[in-house]
Amino acid sequence: MTDRNETTVMIVDDEEIIVGAIQSFLEFETDYSVLPFTSPKRAIEALEEDAVHMIVADFMMPEMDGVSFLTRAREMQPEATRVLLTGYADKQNAIRAINEAGLYHYLEKPWDNDALMLIIRNGVERALMFTELQARISELEEANSELAGFRERLIQAFL
Amino acid sequence: MSTNAPIDADIERALIDQSHLATLGTLVAGVSHELNTPLGAIRSNHDVIERALLKLQDILEDEVVTPDELADVRRIVRAMDGVLRTNGIAVERMSQIIHSLASFGRPDRAEVDLIDLREGLEGTLAVLHGQLSDIQVARELEEIPEIRCYPNRLNQVFMNLVHNATQAMEPGGTLTVRTRTEADRVIIEIEDTGKGIDPENLKSIFKPGFTTKGRRVGMGLGLAISQQIIDHHGGTISAESEVGVGTTFRIELPMDLPASALEEGDTDATT
Repeated sequence: MTDRNETTVMIVDDEEIIVGAIQSFLEFETDYSVLPFTSPKRAIEALEEDAVHMIVADFMMPEMDGVSFLTRAREMQPEATRVLLTGYADKQNAIRAINEAGLYHYLEKPWDNDALMLIIRNGVERALMFTELQARISELEEANSELAGFRERLIQAFL
Repeated sequence: MSTNAPIDADIERALIDQSHLATLGTLVAGVSHELNTPLGAIRSNHDVIERALLKLQDILEDEVVTPDELADVRRIVRAMDGVLRTNGIAVERMSQIIHSLASFGRPDRAEVDLIDLREGLEGTLAVLHGQLSDIQVARELEEIPEIRCYPNRLNQVFMNLVHNATQAMEPGGTLTVRTRTEADRVIIEIEDTGKGIDPENLKSIFKPGFTTKGRRVGMGLGLAISQQIIDHHGGTISAESEVGVGTTFRIELPMDLPASALEEGDTDATT
């Protein structure tokens, strides 16, 4: 299990060199924990175990395309921010898929590291806020239910 | 254009030129796509090296290394380890692509040469690797003797057949490439698990101008030109197909070129 307090970024691309390059960049530039995968199926197995803040996935992969993978990832971890990496040739299909699958962003290959960093930092921030919001909503719901119980007991006491 | 009438020599030459252009277009698109991946990795790594160097210069500037800076240096070393490893793989990949390309259509190569056709098939698969990324490739390449042929022209045929196969298939399909020897002929089969060709269309696929892909320059000529190239080698090309199951193209080639195949002025490395 990944430490929940650690910011975790998952990278999924069937090309080992793409995963390696992004991993090196993130390890140099951030304190994030990086989960690298060249198989989307393995990445899904990992999502059952590890909570992640951000997922960057390639579009064209032999086992499973990036949009199907990210759609599955959303079902498993809705609070994680999802980004698609696309080659120039499949840009049109990718943009259509992004709209359909409700992704946060797409990034074209070859990517610019500054742009990648901005998207990842904002995406992580978004995931943290989303998680925080979920926690606050849970607290509110809990308080509300306590209050309702208290009100119920109060009414019972006076009747 | 009438598809049954014999083709006039000038039209035939024009068709071949157009088909060369279409093949060249596929080749260029394939190679660009292939180079883009290692190039993207190297570009990113180059940027990381630049950032790392700046950081190191910054750390060394006051000639005192604090514990925090030491942690940064450790981080840089770790990142550089990954950068070197990835760059090594990327450079190796680019060398392989260039090597495939060089052996695929070398202008300095003799027009006629004695070669193992598996080399051309592997070269084709390497050049079209990008189109094959979501397709399984099965190689059933039995040992075959070297044959005397026009290698660049046969590569054009392989490229056309593999390209067509990838176009016919959905992601997850299987492309099978086979070679074997039957009697005194070399057999090459390229099989896809694509949508197949209905029997009515199957009769016409080798006719010039026939296409189901819509009208585009160079389209509908690939198979006609392929047949012409194979005929020229004294071989045959045929197709079997079942709708919804897939298509198999079969090429049979003799071990040697027929005397009629040699054109005036062609260089022959085998003589």
